[in-house]
Amino acid sequence: MSEQQTPASQTQTGERPDDVTHFGFRNVPKSQKASQVAEVFHSVAGKYDLMNDLMSMGIHRLWKRFTIELSGVRPGHQVLDIAGGTGDLTMKFSDLVGSGGKVVLADINASMLKVGRSRLTDRGYVGNIEYVQADAEHLPFPNNSFNAVSIAFGLRNVTDKDQALRDMARVLKPGGKLMILEFSKPSNPLLNKIYDTYSFTALPLMGQLIAGDSESYKYLAESIRMHPDQETLKGMMESAGLANCKYYNMTGGIVALHVGIKP
Amino acid sequence: MFPGPTLLTAVTAMIERALNRALELDPAGRQALLGTLGNPVQLNITAPLPLVCSLHSAGEQVLVSGQPASNPALTISGKPLAFAALATGDDQVIHDGRLSISGNFDLALQLQHALQQLNPDWEAAIAVHIGDIPAHFLGNRVRGALTWSRQAFQSLHANIEEYVHEESRLLPGRRELKVTFDDIKALSLRTEQLEARFNSIENRNKINAPENP
Repeated sequence: MSEQQTPASQTQTGERPDDVTHFGFRNVPKSQKASQVAEVFHSVAGKYDLMNDLMSMGIHRLWKRFTIELSGVRPGHQVLDIAGGTGDLTMKFSDLVGSGGKVVLADINASMLKVGRSRLTDRGYVGNIEYVQADAEHLPFPNNSFNAVSIAFGLRNVTDKDQALRDMARVLKPGGKLMILEFSKPSNPLLNKIYDTYSFTALPLMGQLIAGDSESYKYLAESIRMHPDQETLKGMMESAGLANCKYYNMTGGIVALHVGIKP
Repeated sequence: MFPGPTLLTAVTAMIERALNRALELDPAGRQALLGTLGNPVQLNITAPLPLVCSLHSAGEQVLVSGQPASNPALTISGKPLAFAALATGDDQVIHDGRLSISGNFDLALQLQHALQQLNPDWEAAIAVHIGDIPAHFLGNRVRGALTWSRQAFQSLHANIEEYVHEESRLLPGRRELKVTFDDIKALSLRTEQLEARFNSIENRNKINAPENP
């Protein structure tokens, strides 16, 4: 894995280390990461749900369901679903908040938002959902607006994760809950090895066969490896001002749900 | 820690799907049950593996969660068999203490009543897959088998009871036992009255006795 990494000081454009971030195993200028991630998601938006089902063998539905169960969202609540993509979490939140509540589906990517909006409308989810194209680092909402904020499989694509966490904490109401569902580090070395093999061989192949794009799925595998592990992310949440931070490993730590409360 | 979030979530998802599918087959029963689940109801399974499960309604669906409810209106605790008895309409499971209740007891009784009233139309569900006539034939057979089983069980129970009480005389009969218990109770009462009378006479003698003989 390390052979594929470029040291931070050796960017192709000669940027200073402070000005670069990772894009998979490559280092790119911070200013370019968002557009490169956007390209990936523009490319995969149409087949996103199908690929999720195939790649995770349907288990992503259970990970998302666990997130919903732990959210404590009740009728009348205001919920923000960042990087909501095709709206899996938004759909469940919409059922829970009822007609007296509101769910905001936010995504930086217009293609994903379009797919999500069409999917939810087709399924009759209207009335208590708003769609907002927004950057997780600069959320266009007033302070203390939401009872719960969720981001599922989106944080690893954010350029400045600390800034994004601070902004998520800002828009939460005191006592509100932030839930971060994200790929993480498997705790078992054998599982880790199997998972590595699967990620770097099967995922790009499936991407090529189903979505006609192996590079985007290679990026997916690489970005997962570059994402902070469970303890690091927990520390980042605490630094962002959240309290009672904890995480739940799922499927051997392949995915972890981090939860924190705004004091 | 077993069972782990993924497995537990898979189980609750299956229960939720099966429950809502069954409720679709009995719209009136579903409304009654949804009415009792407006506020969360928490189920604590105590053995063999301590598990928590909560139920509440959202729209026309019952949501099942593997997490404790934040502010449950009712908490029911007990063993899996007791919960199975509640689900199948056993009307004694709460009164005989197999399930313990905390919170709104009226709600517990309403929930028990709603579960007893549930009568999903299984025949309609089967008819969708195999057609009306085979489904009706199958339904009749199943209903007949269930009725025969129930009658056979009651008959067996009555026969065993008769043999034990009347033929082998291993145990006294219910009426015979009741008369004996009534006699014992009357004897106990009369003994207590006699004891009280003795005490009274004894006390009276003490009071009447001269202080300086």
